[in-house]
Amino acid sequence: MIHYVLRRLFLLLFVLFSLSVLTFSLSFLFPGDPLNNLSGYQEITVNQLAILERKYKIESDYFTQYIAFLRRVFSGDLGISFNSQAPVFEQVNRIFPATVELAVYSLLVSIIIGIPLGIISAYYHRRLPDTVILTTTLVGYSLPVFWWALLIIFTFSLHFGWFPSSGRIGLVYEVPHISGFILVDILRSDIIYKYEALKNALMHMALPTLVLTTYPTTVLIRYTRGSMLNVLETNYIKTARAKGLSPFQVLLHHGLRNALLPVIRLIGLQFSSLITLAMITEVIFSWPGVGRWLIESIYQRDYPAIQGGLLAIATFVIIVTITSDILYKWFNPVSRTQVDGKF
Amino acid sequence: MLLLDIRNLTIELRSGGNSIKAVERVNLSIKEGEVHGLVGESGSGKSLIAKAIVGVLNQRWKVTADRMHWRGQDLFRLSRKKRRQILSNEIAMIYQEPSRCLDPTSTILEQLLESIPSDQLDGNLWDRKKQRQARAVALLHKVGIKDHDQCLQSYPHQLSEGYCQKIMIAMAVAKKPDLLIADEPTTALESTTRAQILRVLKGLNQLKNTSILLISHDLETLSDWTHTVSVLYCGQMVESGSTEQIFNRPHHPYTQALINSVPDFHMELAHKSRLFALEGSIPTLQHLPIGCRLGPRCPYAQRECVKTPTAHKDHNHSYSCHYPIDYSQEQR
Repeated sequence: MIHYVLRRLFLLLFVLFSLSVLTFSLSFLFPGDPLNNLSGYQEITVNQLAILERKYKIESDYFTQYIAFLRRVFSGDLGISFNSQAPVFEQVNRIFPATVELAVYSLLVSIIIGIPLGIISAYYHRRLPDTVILTTTLVGYSLPVFWWALLIIFTFSLHFGWFPSSGRIGLVYEVPHISGFILVDILRSDIIYKYEALKNALMHMALPTLVLTTYPTTVLIRYTRGSMLNVLETNYIKTARAKGLSPFQVLLHHGLRNALLPVIRLIGLQFSSLITLAMITEVIFSWPGVGRWLIESIYQRDYPAIQGGLLAIATFVIIVTITSDILYKWFNPVSRTQVDGKF
Repeated sequence: MLLLDIRNLTIELRSGGNSIKAVERVNLSIKEGEVHGLVGESGSGKSLIAKAIVGVLNQRWKVTADRMHWRGQDLFRLSRKKRRQILSNEIAMIYQEPSRCLDPTSTILEQLLESIPSDQLDGNLWDRKKQRQARAVALLHKVGIKDHDQCLQSYPHQLSEGYCQKIMIAMAVAKKPDLLIADEPTTALESTTRAQILRVLKGLNQLKNTSILLISHDLETLSDWTHTVSVLYCGQMVESGSTEQIFNRPHHPYTQALINSVPDFHMELAHKSRLFALEGSIPTLQHLPIGCRLGPRCPYAQRECVKTPTAHKDHNHSYSCHYPIDYSQEQR
């Protein structure tokens, strides 16, 4: 197991290395002067030029430049944004938690709803509950997220007026920025209107989470159902039944564990598409996350910001994927003790 | 007293609009303490019969029978729950591929403990846990596994087929069943393990008086120690009777062919001559012949064979054939 984790970590390093090479090379591939793209200063005066050239080692070979780039990344210097002239790293740092928050809550909701529904669906295979669930998931699966989001806003926000349609929290509430996760921040702060603020933040969160969770939930339902059906057909389930265990015991002791193993892996794989969907959702709901920020930067050809956002999101997705891989291995005794080289 | 008494068991596979009778009007009865062999080629419906008895066939199969009595109780007339209770307490089954019948994600210990019924234990909760553990170890010893500690901590994929089969038997006998259905228990195993498994089964029968329904395609394993044998062909019961009757005086041409096809060192075969086998091969389920299903391959078939033969009964020996092999002239 240790060996496997080490191998995965090595893979992580390798992927991160390729990612850094890609990000670094972007400054040369983007139009404009590499020095501008790297530093973020659009108009460089003669005085600055000498300092910047020394800092970015622009005269030396690519390798030295790359090493300097890595040094800067580790010290948290990604240059400044073309538009705001503010440091990119700090911006990413401030808004990244908002995206993670949205994605994680959606994933949690989809796990809490998706897995039980998938199991119910498999349990009532080809009967009414199964058909209802399958049809619903097919609809949810095929809805384009932007259209679905607009539909939700029209219904719950404009027509009924139950939920706010944009932002993270009402403007009247002032929550100190500590971790960036708004619910955590509200709970940890000592403002007097804590519970009103919490309620307000949850109201803001409801619609984006609902929109974002639709796709992963439906995928999870279908996948859990399929996996459960496969497991229920296996001989060991029949043996367990013949042993005299009740259907519920069979499901709990033998069905669940085996059926959920591939689901762990799926969750890891789904995470990248979840982040992509989160970007669209953020734009529609004006959610101040890194996705919206990145899309705006792309519109404005803000190259240092694009680089920074890309680096942050990609690193996050890679780490999540590899963690889910390791978790899968951890929970699966068959592959846990398998010889190296097999998955 | 008859332990299991089945009359006219029919198992149909429903596919599309029509249904195929994979097993047609099979009779089977097992006495207490008896070892009953069920022989047939692969695809003849042996496993289906076993699964139908235990009730683990999935919904595609339709099982009907005139009667299926377990100790005088008709299993088909009981409620699902009651039936399951009887089946799980008194009938145990071991399957063909043992390693696939064990849950890959839980240890042997967990799976063994699960199959020990709590009414065999006494004392309070704390004692029970210890008792269960001790029972699990004893069960492993009973089936001939000596290094129990290592075995109990293992996952199924870490053990060999033979070990898995022994564990399956251990799990099956945990409930002290009256009938043990062994569905080709030795097919996947090499010959030493096969001998061990058969010895364990034989011991169970002789010491605990457990009845065994032994399903096999191998005549030799059956001829040694079964009391009665039934021969299946294509889902039809062709002949059944005591082992001696079947092996020494088979009345059905198929049984005779089966026995003749076992290679024997005493056979005086000419150099490079062919071994005995029936012409043709077992038909697929979609193309079953009408009447006697052996018809097209039978060396004695005549026009009448397109009608399904009824079972003739001669003491305990029954056979369904229009033109059975006649031994009366031979004796004269």
